[in-house]
Amino acid sequence: MRDAFLDRIYEIAKEDQQVILVSNDFGAPALDKFRVDLASQFIHSGIAEQDMVNVAAGLELAGKIVYMYAMAPFLPMRCLEQMKVHMCLRNVAITAVSVGAGFSYELSGPTHHTPEDISIMNAMPGLTLLSCSDSGMAAAFADLTYNNRVSTYIRFDREAVDPRYESIYDYSDGIAVLKPSKDIMIIATGIMVGQALKVADELAKQGINAGVTDLYRIKPLNEELLLTTIGQAKCVVTIEENFLNGGIGSIIASFLLDRGIRMPFKRLGIPDKYYHEWGTREFMRSLCGLDIKNINISIYEWLKNARLLQFEA
Amino acid sequence: MVDKVKLAEKALWIRQQVLEMCARAGEGRISSSLSWTEIAVALYYGRILKFDPSNTAWGERDRFVLSKGWGVICLYPIFADLGFFPKEELDKYCTPGSLLGAYGDSVPGIEIVWASIGHGLGVAAGLALAARMDKIDCLTITVLGDGECYEGSVWESAMFAGHHELNNLIAIVDRNRRCTIDYTENCLRLDPLDEKFMAFGWDVVCIDGHSYDEIFGAFKNIRSRRSRKPLMIIADTVKGKGISQLEQNPMAHVIIPAGAELEQARKDLKCPR
Repeated sequence: MRDAFLDRIYEIAKEDQQVILVSNDFGAPALDKFRVDLASQFIHSGIAEQDMVNVAAGLELAGKIVYMYAMAPFLPMRCLEQMKVHMCLRNVAITAVSVGAGFSYELSGPTHHTPEDISIMNAMPGLTLLSCSDSGMAAAFADLTYNNRVSTYIRFDREAVDPRYESIYDYSDGIAVLKPSKDIMIIATGIMVGQALKVADELAKQGINAGVTDLYRIKPLNEELLLTTIGQAKCVVTIEENFLNGGIGSIIASFLLDRGIRMPFKRLGIPDKYYHEWGTREFMRSLCGLDIKNINISIYEWLKNARLLQFEA
Repeated sequence: MVDKVKLAEKALWIRQQVLEMCARAGEGRISSSLSWTEIAVALYYGRILKFDPSNTAWGERDRFVLSKGWGVICLYPIFADLGFFPKEELDKYCTPGSLLGAYGDSVPGIEIVWASIGHGLGVAAGLALAARMDKIDCLTITVLGDGECYEGSVWESAMFAGHHELNNLIAIVDRNRRCTIDYTENCLRLDPLDEKFMAFGWDVVCIDGHSYDEIFGAFKNIRSRRSRKPLMIIADTVKGKGISQLEQNPMAHVIIPAGAELEQARKDLKCPR
């Protein structure tokens, strides 16, 4: 995803010298080209995230269009107060490009897992929180943030995911129904959108018609479209590679409660703990029930026990 | 030539205003504002900074970043006096709907300020770097507290500015040797502060921050420096300067005199009756 984003930023920056990319020593194949061809628009902040945000703020205040590019565990958490002071208190329109959501760096251990960022960034007033689910969207987010300058945090996965949206899709809604259903709607974000589509296929084999919605802008939430989307189904499941505490499940559940809407609702995400185990991404997910097999079982058992749907024998 | 007698009169008037504003509101860091008053006076009345009160967005203005945001109170009387906003605003300090608060986020003349420390040097470095990229003929000047220099972000930014040879950046440390609850050298040693910044790639000069001769000396030929390094001015100051009880109290940071102490402070500052 990040390479698709960086490739597009490269094209934009080639046309507009005001575009500056700041990295805290975080690389990517697509970044190498930027560093060589657009050297005067690339700044290495050192592995110093607090300074990265402060310098980015200074550059933006001087009229530059600034992208901060770093690994997710360190942007935002190592420099959260700087982000608050500049991006939230003063609306300095920097774009924070954070790579490595959830278990992206599955073999790097819990210091490099990022199951917190949705919970944290959703609490920050004035911030736009984007969560990217495929490479086409990643490239589009480059244009979106360039054309619409507000304080933005983009949550990228490390994995490359082939585009599933049409190339002209405009991404202004924040929510997209990828597979409709009048029975059960699965709302997922980021890499888990692909997981949700696979789960929907599995459920279909069991006679369950599950839809999939991609929540790619978590903040500000498109409340009316979310209501419309949810209103068409009988029950909702949320899936995310983020803590259940404060993740999209919590966000949507709170929103529905505030609106006085009660409906069968199940949240699937990472429980309130860190994982010190080593293994593949799907193995890490299996530890918290987020692998395809376990998601499928969770949803099926929940529907059955709650007598929510009529199942085929 | 700058008339130093007039500057001293300004400084006394500013100190009186700081005391009265904070005493009236019961809010504001008096001692942090008094320690750098001469520096603020020199910057704004001594023709060091380029600015235009009628056009705060003037492209070639010098960028002034107050990194020790709690010390902002001494700028309010200066800005009112220079015409950035009406003097009546000083009377409304920290009241509902007032322009001026304990730190001024949207006050005309203030480039950027926070009460939260450790940000200004990095922001100033970003501003200075952008000015160099855009070939804008201006200086970026920032004032830090010495307690602020405990923040790791200050040293991240010091390294950044040194590496990028931002010789259009000038930082002043208000070295009043006190943080909130004690003297800095009792809390966690900062000295030798000059050698630390030198090692990070800065030119460093140490001055008496209450001496106009030394302040103007540090800024002499500031727009034609040959050095490629950013300039750090370590200004030895007295926290709470001008009010004896604050000058002597290691915990002066949050003190706002009241009652008999306020009367004594007014005497110290020759406040008009």
